[in-house]
Amino acid sequence: MKADARLVAEYRDGRTILRELRSMAPLTLFPKRTGGDAVVHLVNSATSPLGGDDLRLTVIVGAGARLRLSGVAATLALPGQHADGSHSTLDVHVERGGRFEYLPEPTVVTSRARHTAELFASLDDDARLRVREVLVLGRVGERPGSLRTTQRIVRGQVPLLHQTLDVGSLRFAARRVLATEILVGEDPVEPAGGDWWSVTPLAAGGALFTALAPDAVTAAKDLDRARACFPKMSW
Amino acid sequence: MDVTALLLADSRFPGGGHVHSGGLEEAVARKLITVERDLPEFLHGRLWTVGLMAASFAAAAAHAARRGVHSGYWRRLDAELDARTPSVAQREASRAQGRGTARAGRIAWPAVAELLAVTPRPHHPIITGALAGAGGSLPRDAALAVAYLAVSGPASAAVRLLGFDPLHVNAMVARLAPALEAVADEAAVTAGADPSELPAPGAPALDLLAEAHLRHHKEEVRLFAS
Repeated sequence: MKADARLVAEYRDGRTILRELRSMAPLTLFPKRTGGDAVVHLVNSATSPLGGDDLRLTVIVGAGARLRLSGVAATLALPGQHADGSHSTLDVHVERGGRFEYLPEPTVVTSRARHTAELFASLDDDARLRVREVLVLGRVGERPGSLRTTQRIVRGQVPLLHQTLDVGSLRFAARRVLATEILVGEDPVEPAGGDWWSVTPLAAGGALFTALAPDAVTAAKDLDRARACFPKMSW
Repeated sequence: MDVTALLLADSRFPGGGHVHSGGLEEAVARKLITVERDLPEFLHGRLWTVGLMAASFAAAAAHAARRGVHSGYWRRLDAELDARTPSVAQREASRAQGRGTARAGRIAWPAVAELLAVTPRPHHPIITGALAGAGGSLPRDAALAVAYLAVSGPASAAVRLLGFDPLHVNAMVARLAPALEAVADEAAVTAGADPSELPAPGAPALDLLAEAHLRHHKEEVRLFAS
């Protein structure tokens, strides 16, 4: 399945409107009515990603606009008929003063799946970004397939974060769940952490939370603990 | 492999690399590594993540030094490696090692002056690769030297921390030869690429070990700096 979906948010008359909302199966976008900010749910309208899928979602958040894109159900990366695996790309641009949150539900890498997920975000100087990612290696008792995620975040001309994770070949010290959250546009933080979670300031701005946990519930608790390191966070 | 790359990969090169364990001391403190058979997987994982990234940046730096790039390139290479090193503890360890390597190497290979003018505390893979290139090494040799350092440091730390048989540990490193060659090959492919396109393999478990090591290092006596 090939899909090319698009979402454009703009700030107009004191609120964020969705100027463009183009779903393409299996990437289905459901707008939710709220006060001033825009909230869109991303729903998989078909079993996806399957081997052979190539999915792209482009998001543009205009100057001053605030958009949250969230998932409603866990994504299962599954093997398909095609040997070349599946591929999904999220391309984001946030203009000055804009704010984008991407909060998908966990991705479960099932046995024999071969999936590549990419996130490219370019931010204007004072744009804000929050991205959460939870990767689960296999369902309970299952050996995971392979998942390669790449995240590249650039603000102005400066790269803030660029990271590729090969999940499956990589072992997380016998822990099944990797949770990360990227925050750009908050006050700088001091490093903090415990044995299996940490908050670190990135070199050129922004911060990264990381947690490795035996299960998704523990990972969520670790992320909450990390978030408590930002008492003034307004998200 | 040429003499410059051999000198840089030698554990007797006076760059201060011997004080870094690459996360091994923290793994030992948590009893994740207790017996000899635990070590190969740690070394293998480190080689294909931190090692591959370091090798790629070393190859790019060697390539750049050989073609005589302008200072803007060194700034971009530094920023791209920063972006690929989210752990502040890992960044500090890389720059501390880089500074020691620069101090020792700039006398032998003074052509790295422009790199040091824009990044006085360079990342270890970048200064090592640049020194290699300045001394005439090929990018692949610079990559192989840095990939080797990514595993030889933790391997010798395991001998010191756990009293593993040095002959057995040496054999484990020798068995990594095909993987070391493969990492160097992969790093050499991107040596001439734009810095934004260099590989970015992350290692969240190693990052967490590095962060925890730094916290414990401040609270109690640890043998290694990282």
